[in-house]
This record gives sequence, C-alpha cells and structure tokens, in this order.
Amino acid sequence: MRRFLAALAIIVCVPAAAVEAGAPAPALSMTPLEGGAPVTIAGLKGSVVYVDFWASWCPPCTRSMPVLDELYKRNKPRGFVVVGINKDASLADAHKLLARIPVTFVLVQDGSDAAAKAFDVKGMPSGYLVDRKGVVRYVHRGFNAEHAAAIEKEIDSLLKEPS
Amino acid sequence: MKLLALLALAAFAAACAPVAPYQRAYLARDDMALDGNPGFMKAIEKTYSAKEAASGGGGVGGGGCGCN
Repeated sequence: MRRFLAALAIIVCVPAAAVEAGAPAPALSMTPLEGGAPVTIAGLKGSVVYVDFWASWCPPCTRSMPVLDELYKRNKPRGFVVVGINKDASLADAHKLLARIPVTFVLVQDGSDAAAKAFDVKGMPSGYLVDRKGVVRYVHRGFNAEHAAAIEKEIDSLLKEPS
Repeated sequence: MKLLALLALAAFAAACAPVAPYQRAYLARDDMALDGNPGFMKAIEKTYSAKEAASGGGGVGGGGCGCN
C-alpha cells in the first residue's frame, strides 16, 4: 500500500522535465503548416536547427520572426535550419500574422500539443538551438535584443563545429 | 486508506487547472481581459510600463501569454 501511495504521490507531484541544454532533442514528427510530408528533427541531423515555438497572440514571438528569418537566410548555406512550431488555436490566426510578417523558414503545426509537451515549453516564445548531432545546446525563453545577439553568436559557433 | 482517499480527492477534484503557456491563445485575447474596456486599459498599461520602465504582468493584450 505504501509503495502504491508513494507512486501515486510521485505521479501527482512531479512535473514533466523541461528540455534543457545538453539533452537530446525530442524525436518528433510534425505536419507543415501548409500540409505535406512530415518534418522530423531527426531528419535534420547534420544541420544546426533552431526550434522556435511561436504564436500570433504572443507579442515577443512576432518580434522574433523577422530576426529568425534574417538569421535563417544568412546562415542557410552553412547548414542552418529554423523550424517554427505554431501554437495558435486556429491556423487562420497564424496565416493572418504570416501575411503581415512573411517568413521563409519551415513552419509546422502542433494542434495536439505533442511537440510543446515533449519540450515542456515554459513560456512563449521558446527557442531550442540544436547542434549538428541532435543535442539541444542553448535554450531561450522570451525574446528581446539580448536574445537576438546571443542567438546569432551561438548559431555561428555551432556551425563551426564538425558534424 | 483515508489518506489515499484524501490524496485522490486533492488530485482529481481540484477546480483549478493550470493552463500551459502555449495554450493561452484564448486567454491572450483582448476580450478576455478582466477589465471591461481592454482598449483603454491597454493604453494605461503602455503608459505605465513606459513611465516605470517595467512591462508584463498586466491583464491586457498579451499579458496572459507567459512571455516576458
């Protein structure tokens, strides 16, 4: 009985562990915003990947989008990829924002919250910089000018690492 | 056994459920603000944050999104 009680207490009290620097990126298969073949983080192994959780209702997310797009365009030839995971309740809201702030990087939907739960997202936006080996190396929660500068440096240093 | 029942009650009968930061699409809407005049409150909040060099924590426009 004690064991059962302890197990129940653990289930009730221990929250899911958030993905932090040093952890392997969760294996996920996500549907692109426009539909089509699923995108997997494992499939992007060999590239430096910035996984960004964003939504149209989150003001810092909207500020991060043009910055991430610029970083993506600049570093794409060196093997840099951005995967934007949308957390809008309605895809129409996402498309409305994208009409105002168009981006060129990969956008996927997460209607079931599977990706957000796998990363245990603690705030919006949340960004996870994954190295060429598939390991999360940097985590950014929120977005401001300091984050932008740090992300740029981190991308550059990770792109210099061998795959 | 009583303890088990109490624990189960505490775990499953709670009226409040946490809303994850990524699930706040509806809470972040202007018409979900506690104040009846979200537009006016947004202006007040903007003035306040500019004067006090502080932002966030308000109950209007994006305050519920869990972002800083």
